[in-house]
Amino acid sequence: MKYHLILSALTVGGLASLAGPAIAQEPFKIGISAGLTGYAATVDRAWRDGVELAAATINAKGGIKGRKVQIIVEDNRSEPQEAVTVYRKMLSSDGVGMFISGCVSAGNFAAAPILVRAEVPMVLCSILPQQPAQVKWAYTTLPPAGFEVETRLAYLKDKTQVRKIGVLHDPTPYANLQKTVAEKEAAKYGIEIVGIEQYKQDDADLSVQISKMNSAGAGAILKIGLGGTTLTAAKNIKQLGLNMLLLTSLEDLAVFRPVAEVLGDKFFFVASPSQVRDALPAGPLATEIDRFLAPWREKYGDRDPNWASRGWDGLMLTAAAIEKGGSFEGPKVRDAIEGLSGYQGTTGVYDFSPEVHQGLTINPFVLGTIVDGKVKVVQ
Amino acid sequence: MTSLLATTLPSRFRWTDTLAWLPWIISAGIVGYAFLSGGYVVTLVVFALIYAVFVIGLNIFMGFTNQVSFGQNAFAAISGYTSAVLTTAYEWTTLPAIAVGVALAVLCAFLIGYPTLRLKGHYLAMGTLAIGLITYEISVEWSSVTQGYMGISGIPPLGIGAYEVTSDRGQLALLVVIVLILTFMSARIRTSRLGRAFFAVAGSEDAARALGVDVARYKLASFILSAACAALAGSLFVHVVGFVSPEVFGLHMVILSFTMLYVGGIGTVAGPLLGALIVSLLPDTFRAFKDYQDLAYGAVLILLLIYAPRGLAALFDRYVPAKKVGGAP
Repeated sequence: MKYHLILSALTVGGLASLAGPAIAQEPFKIGISAGLTGYAATVDRAWRDGVELAAATINAKGGIKGRKVQIIVEDNRSEPQEAVTVYRKMLSSDGVGMFISGCVSAGNFAAAPILVRAEVPMVLCSILPQQPAQVKWAYTTLPPAGFEVETRLAYLKDKTQVRKIGVLHDPTPYANLQKTVAEKEAAKYGIEIVGIEQYKQDDADLSVQISKMNSAGAGAILKIGLGGTTLTAAKNIKQLGLNMLLLTSLEDLAVFRPVAEVLGDKFFFVASPSQVRDALPAGPLATEIDRFLAPWREKYGDRDPNWASRGWDGLMLTAAAIEKGGSFEGPKVRDAIEGLSGYQGTTGVYDFSPEVHQGLTINPFVLGTIVDGKVKVVQ
Repeated sequence: MTSLLATTLPSRFRWTDTLAWLPWIISAGIVGYAFLSGGYVVTLVVFALIYAVFVIGLNIFMGFTNQVSFGQNAFAAISGYTSAVLTTAYEWTTLPAIAVGVALAVLCAFLIGYPTLRLKGHYLAMGTLAIGLITYEISVEWSSVTQGYMGISGIPPLGIGAYEVTSDRGQLALLVVIVLILTFMSARIRTSRLGRAFFAVAGSEDAARALGVDVARYKLASFILSAACAALAGSLFVHVVGFVSPEVFGLHMVILSFTMLYVGGIGTVAGPLLGALIVSLLPDTFRAFKDYQDLAYGAVLILLLIYAPRGLAALFDRYVPAKKVGGAP
């Protein structure tokens, strides 16, 4: 009997010693709930590619604290209901310990209570949930809505004679936030908003809204929103023979090139640092962008890096927080991100704190234009 | 052995009779599996059961009464948003908020249905589609109440008074009870005087009128019953998820519910539940196909509609004992 006990103990001990390193090497699973189909597909596919590129880079260097990173991607179809399902799937079936999810705000909001209960943090591409208990577990790489607006207002004030403008926006949450900021901030720049018009993402004509703003005396239009409507607005301005500037929000450069062909030097856009890398001076920002752009260009050529660079930031700052906090456990990762300050990403410096979960606190944007097919910084 | 069976079973018993219960057995199996296994399968089945509530109503209007409505999502939205606003902005408890939401949706259904149901065929379809689209636009634009695309979050879970059903299995059990009650009511309506009037209207409005059936009244009654189920589904959804935004009650809901109704079996009692479960779980079955998931899902749906054009539940019609003929169970 005694012999059997000793043998059993040795066997269990042996198995445990074999299993020990295996458990240590188990990959850290990170989930992405992304709208790979539906209205957010363009943005979220790029976000996913950025996160996966960051994971490959981290894994090539041995992972985070010796653990490889495994990315699990699920398509939420840009729908809140589907987002709830895929978040639950990744939590319960895949054992995901962290989320770096895409730009479908409604989907992230709908799933937020589940993550709070599971005590799993998330870094988002979208705006933060509205409930304080949910914000506690959510962080975003999205710059505050005011940054894009302020960049354009500052240009109009400093470089033009335009003092009356119109705001043309879609009904999405982020666009609405930007519109609200524009209403509040315009006066500080000596600018009057003479018209605010809304459109829908699938509108094929915006001439009515543009004409109304022009009639009200607007010399420029601040367009807020993604997609093909920027080209529609540009064509309408030209067709109506108006002498108006069009200043659009952040978007894929592929969308902007045909717009620039229509409006020429009357078209400006908000650009993220990674989109205008060549115009940046040497420094920590340029170095971080280069770290991202090298593998990005190798894999995707001249594809626009904007959304992907924020996905890259999402994983890289998570990795930095885990290294700093020394733990992969949800609550500790959450606390570690909250304590992450002065982290240099590709979009700017992230300063998180218990009160600030939207880490970019200094405006990283510049105003760009396209001259002879080349992107140039105008401010 | 044969003689033993012959002596112990009723003389008119046929083994094939049990096949009539197959839709119920499959549905019970899926729900039971979800309950036992837990995890995200519960989430899938919970959503399926909410849709089953919606489709049971749609079946009354489309299956029993042979009318068309593309706008039932409007009533889900009215009730869902009412319930969400009352519980978050005015701190009502869940049950009264749902009751008011459903009542408001039913009132809207009456006011909308009275003039709209004078339309027939494609015109009725277009009219009801417009109702759904208008409600969607209101939920986007009336942002002072609905918060637009930002949505309303922090909606409390289902419960009575201070007691809240927060666990997945608890929500599943509660929804099973609700679906069973509504399915029982649907079955009773089918064989009642009301149901016979619906079927008379479905067969021929002129013939029904000649037989003394008040066609307009029964069409309106069917529409209101259907709207009540849609409204209940809308409220259940917002309290289960804890969040509502316009996308939840968009055209996607209409397409999904139609698919469930036709796959399950339009006009049958078991069809809505079976269809909701199958259509909710099918895409997930093909999750491993990744980019080809939708292709596989679409292919299976086409095959189902080719080989079971009246829906899965109707496949077992032939096994219903003769005395119950008149439709599948």
